[in-house]
Amino acid sequence: MKALSLYQDNGTLIHRVDPISKLLYIAAAIFIPVVLTGFTAGLAMLGLSLMLLVLARVLRKVVPLIGFSMLVLISVVIIQGLFYAGNRQVMFALGGVHFYREGLLFSAAICVRVLNILCAFALLVLTTRPSDLIESLVRQGLSPHFGYVLSSVLQIIPQMTGTMETITDAQRSRGMETEGSLMVRLRAFLPLIGPVVMNSLVSTRERSLALEVRAFSSRAQKTFLNEERVSTSNRVIKIVLLAAMAAAVAWRVVS
Amino acid sequence: MNKIEIRNLVFHYTAGEPILNDISLAFDARSTAIIGQNGAGKTTFVKLLKGLLKPVGGDVVINGINTSDATVAALARHIGLVFQNPNDQIFKNKVLDEVMFGPLNIGQSQDEARERADAALAMVGLAGRINDNPYDLSLSERKLISIASIVAMNTEIIIFDEPTIAQDFSGKEHIKAIIRDLVAQGKLVLTIIHDMDFVAETFERTLVFAQGRVLLDGSTREVFAEEEVLRQAHLEPPHVTQLAHRTGLPGTPLTVEEFVREKRAQGAMRPVTP
Ligand SMILES: Nc1ncnc2c1ncn2[C@@H]1O[C@H](COP(=O)(O)OP(=O)(O)OP(=O)(O)O)[C@@H](O)[C@H]1O
Ligand SMILES: [Mg+2]
Repeated sequence: MKALSLYQDNGTLIHRVDPISKLLYIAAAIFIPVVLTGFTAGLAMLGLSLMLLVLARVLRKVVPLIGFSMLVLISVVIIQGLFYAGNRQVMFALGGVHFYREGLLFSAAICVRVLNILCAFALLVLTTRPSDLIESLVRQGLSPHFGYVLSSVLQIIPQMTGTMETITDAQRSRGMETEGSLMVRLRAFLPLIGPVVMNSLVSTRERSLALEVRAFSSRAQKTFLNEERVSTSNRVIKIVLLAAMAAAVAWRVVS
Repeated sequence: MNKIEIRNLVFHYTAGEPILNDISLAFDARSTAIIGQNGAGKTTFVKLLKGLLKPVGGDVVINGINTSDATVAALARHIGLVFQNPNDQIFKNKVLDEVMFGPLNIGQSQDEARERADAALAMVGLAGRINDNPYDLSLSERKLISIASIVAMNTEIIIFDEPTIAQDFSGKEHIKAIIRDLVAQGKLVLTIIHDMDFVAETFERTLVFAQGRVLLDGSTREVFAEEEVLRQAHLEPPHVTQLAHRTGLPGTPLTVEEFVREKRAQGAMRPVTP
């Protein structure tokens, strides 16, 4: 079944890195630039993320995300450039409107930070199958019940749109007009709600029965279908990331 | 005029993965079975006839209407499709509402719709269940309801996708009777089906789909005589036909009655060679 996921199955090196390392990478990508104030660290981190995205061959999928956030970020730049409270030094004027150096620097820092977080999350989301992520979290001690809830949330939306499509097909197959003007579509949409909810209730009941007959709530120690991939490289990645965060803190304290 | 005309039909869900390659066909009044391996593209084909999917290339013309130019709802008064999975079709909470939904939509009056719904439910043997909730019925009963709700629409063309799934002997006999009845009323009946014995007993014409093409097209007897080609499509002739071949009977009997008649004509039964 399709799941609500942006996962790209490219099978690159990055895809083989375990999800926990990627979570740790997100933490580092946020943490290091915050500790080491200033542009260099943030830009370096951003550069690294972009490089990893290229390696994972998913950069193309990130572009629309960046494009969308740019809309918001540009308005931040304009507003801060004009009205930032610490504005002193005029940088340039555009048609009689003055842009200030302090505001522009401040907003640039925000932009770097946002893009940084965005790219780090994109790296996780685009290169990790959601079920793998949840499985690793459960392995780390997350309750399997909660893990199941997480994965069903990812599935329930596509499942509901799927049900909607099937029911729409069933209705228009029997002469109900569902294409055309907004009014027509609205009239077709309303009677859908009942059956869609009904269907999900029925399938929820069936799924809980299916889970129970396979001893979902058994208290015995659970094993996993997939073997845990413990590789030295994954351990090295984690150690490097932790060390980098520690180094950042040390640098901040010393200098 | 042919009720359905298909010219150079091409279809794929994702570009580069063709499902149907350049199919040209016409359907006259003969009842027709569509057979083929799982995944051969049969369901996709009938969804194209129904207008639920639109051709990537070529034309599908239903009663003179090109499906690319009409909405599914507008086509619904000409062509009815019983879905493969009844759960994809049933959405009302009362059997009677479910069966009357189509007829009312295509402009039958309340009385006419009720009459046709009652008749259709009686045909499938579920007249006593009109007030039940379809979700409480078994899969085989839901399948029969999905059949009744299309039959009640009284369209000129009716397509069944796997009508016999989950049916026992009497369910199959009900369905066979319905198909014969519809044919007698002059309707065009197309059926996708995996049960070769049912095909042999019920349909005049048979199409074999394989890898997005029509591998064989002819009278059911002609098609089932082509054992070699059928094997290519991973299909087998009906059991009686196979038995006839193994016992050295000439011709292609399609039903038990035909088999017995041939045997009698041939004289005493020879021992079966293993
Ligand atoms: N909605 C869809 N999106 C993408 N591919 C699909 C979709 N529906 C079917 N397919 C693919 O199209 C091919 C033909 O499917 P189809 O359902 O038409 O086969 P079929 O002949 O009806 O098989 P069966 O005998 O199992 O019902 C299959 O390979 C299937 O995986
Ligand atoms: Mg099918």
